[in-house]
Amino acid sequence: MTVLEGRARLGPAAWLRTASLAAAVTMAMAGPAWAQGTFNFAMTDEPPHLDVQVTTATLTTLVDMHILETLYTFNSNLEPVPLLAESETLSDDGKTVVIKLREGVPFHNGKEMTAEDVVASLDRWGAYGGRGKVLYDHVQSVEATGDHEVTITFKDVFGPWKNLLAFNNGGPAILPAEIVGSATAEPLAPEQIIGTGPFRFNEWRPNRYIEVVRFDDYAQPPGEPDGWAGPKDVTLDAIRFIAVPDVGTRVSGVQAGDYDYAELIPGDLYEELSNDDSVVTIREGIPDYPLVFFNSADGIFKDNYALRRAVMAAFNNADALRIAIGPEELWDAQGALYREGQYWYNDAGIENYPSGDLEQAKKLADEAGYKGEPIRFMVSSSYPVHHDIGVVFAQQMQDAGFNIDLQIYDWPTLVNRRAEPDLWDMFETTHGAMPDPVLYTFMNDNYPGWWTSPEKEELEAKFTGTTDPEERRQIWAEIQGLMYEQIPVVKVGDVFNFDIASPQVEGLLERQNMFWPVFWNAHKS
Amino acid sequence: MGIYVLKRLLGAIPTLVIASLLVFAFIHLIPGDPASVMLGDMAEAEEIEALRRELGLDRPIWEQYLVWVSHVAQGDLGTSVYFQEPVLRVIGEGAETSAFLALFTMILVIAIGIPAGIVAASFHGTHVDQTLSGLTMLFASIPTFWLGLYLIFTVAVSLDLLPTSGFPSVLESGELSNLRYLILPAITLSAPNSALVIRLVRAGMLDVMREDYVRTARAKGIAEHAVILRHVFRNALIGVVATLGFTFVGLVSEAVVTETVFALPGIGRLVVQSILRRDYPVIQGIILVIILFYIVVNLVVDIVTTYLDPRVKLQ
Repeated sequence: MTVLEGRARLGPAAWLRTASLAAAVTMAMAGPAWAQGTFNFAMTDEPPHLDVQVTTATLTTLVDMHILETLYTFNSNLEPVPLLAESETLSDDGKTVVIKLREGVPFHNGKEMTAEDVVASLDRWGAYGGRGKVLYDHVQSVEATGDHEVTITFKDVFGPWKNLLAFNNGGPAILPAEIVGSATAEPLAPEQIIGTGPFRFNEWRPNRYIEVVRFDDYAQPPGEPDGWAGPKDVTLDAIRFIAVPDVGTRVSGVQAGDYDYAELIPGDLYEELSNDDSVVTIREGIPDYPLVFFNSADGIFKDNYALRRAVMAAFNNADALRIAIGPEELWDAQGALYREGQYWYNDAGIENYPSGDLEQAKKLADEAGYKGEPIRFMVSSSYPVHHDIGVVFAQQMQDAGFNIDLQIYDWPTLVNRRAEPDLWDMFETTHGAMPDPVLYTFMNDNYPGWWTSPEKEELEAKFTGTTDPEERRQIWAEIQGLMYEQIPVVKVGDVFNFDIASPQVEGLLERQNMFWPVFWNAHKS
Repeated sequence: MGIYVLKRLLGAIPTLVIASLLVFAFIHLIPGDPASVMLGDMAEAEEIEALRRELGLDRPIWEQYLVWVSHVAQGDLGTSVYFQEPVLRVIGEGAETSAFLALFTMILVIAIGIPAGIVAASFHGTHVDQTLSGLTMLFASIPTFWLGLYLIFTVAVSLDLLPTSGFPSVLESGELSNLRYLILPAITLSAPNSALVIRLVRAGMLDVMREDYVRTARAKGIAEHAVILRHVFRNALIGVVATLGFTFVGLVSEAVVTETVFALPGIGRLVVQSILRRDYPVIQGIILVIILFYIVVNLVVDIVTTYLDPRVKLQ
């Protein structure tokens, strides 16, 4: 009997076993199914839609930064510089600005961007976008005064106009007139999101990923790369934005090489991951900050600044941040609305920043006439850090003798309830930093909290009524001081999120001053 | 048989109608709506109202219900508020993942649960039975999120044998090897469910073993393994089949934790996310589809039972 014959005597069962084993091993060794040159970004969730003009959702901005562009953008000093604009001239009285557009800039559908597209985009944003209204309240007209020239006429001098045109989050992204001209409050469908950016929208597989692919005809902006301005070195074929809600999975995915970048990793993993060679930790340069709002329109805090001071005195912000976040590199209990070194920083009023003095809180509460009435405090369960901070504060306030009715809701419920002034006294949320203080929600009389007062209105009018930067900085300091007197909101502190990336990823922009990660220069070694 | 099936399906219509009413009512009773979610935190009340009007959310509830039900009767489940895609397409995307995961899991559950249950019953009272009972308790008590994360950490990260998460489509790409993405999730989901099946098979068989006809079979000299498999097991199976059917249906919603841990684009995770986003058409659509699925599985279980148990006749 030859060896071959001997082998042939093995029955079909044995062959099947061997074949299965071989198949299993091969399958296990095959690499990931994604294409080479595709960058995989693990996000916390899917965005609600991709129409950045009508939402301030960060997830939408993260995707749209790569597809859509604005007239201006921010350089590494957070100054607005031209992007789709080429230059502008401001009239002597500051009420007319003529913007010259770059020529030969194609949209993803091949059409060249003209003034008509810019006007249509701005008008839709002004009519239906939250941030758009902030600008358009001061706008008299926006007109195309040439194929590549747009003239904006203001009703009055409005200092923040350039910052607003540069801020893409909820911002005036430029789309073709035939798409955006008929758009209303309802967000545009993903296929309609056509821009001038270095990537174009390819597909959105619900619950799986959003994919953008390189736009080969991208018109490179002139100048030197500086922050988000200047030319871009695009080598990636595609970027996939994948929703991975579980943070453990986001981390494992980067460690195993399935994802190239994962955002928003919680603080308790910071030390461990900083020492882990299979990932690179990237701390963001600009913090978010949790805020606790008081109801100025109705209820126990209306017109009662003394009671607000009393409640604020009970907060030990450092403790709350430490418990909710962890490592000290990731938070800073400081009371100014910007950080030292930033353009808008000032220290007005921050001597009142609380450090959890319970005795003082009780005393101030007595003086304010507090008699143990229930205080309804809404916190959301949807965001862990925010939730944890709220729970700690509720405890601190109770320790100071306040009767706190802590109400925990999921985010949509909280938003729904917060619109009714008779349903709450305090609520907590987190905001990101703003390139212009006029964008802070509490500056808007209509944002829940509804802070209005003669002093605020006067200062705000002065603040927006000038384009002189020094003057604006000084007035902003006065506004911050007023905030610490009238306390529409308590600033909890600065919270630095951190992301992780695979060590093979190169070309990521410095995060020091930029709000969000962008991947247009990224490549994998 | 055909008439029986038709009668059952027609009889299911009142169930579906009542279910649709209840689902619609409950979801709309929860505060919040998709408009504020879509516009982000800084949106003003006025903008949210404008979007609500555009989406038809400001119309009276009964009117919204009638509009929805009339579309459903024509097979149109509406459009997802969140994705702006037909609900059927959104569900379809998730269905592939959930179907493969459920199938994989059931294969493991049957392959582990039934033999283990048979062995436990055959050797009941001995060390083998006690060891199996202990393992069954372990499988039943391990939380799925822990097991899932543990498997990712050991098998996918440390040993690098399988992917950590996600599931690229098999049907679209034609790549069968993509099924390897479901191996760890299926193992995770099968742990508690196999435990249930092991206990059921064991209990069912022990009951049957006490029957007279089993004693008769042994007395007639039939080999023990034939007694166990052809007489005891086959009759015990009747009770287990119903549970297997409902386990299969239940896997779709039970899988939500596993789908979240493994970032799988399945129906379980989709329905939870849709609730958090208040995407009404998707929530309603998925629940209707699951109820329909449950009705069909119920029917199949009844038919299979008549084959297994000649005493049961279809009526």
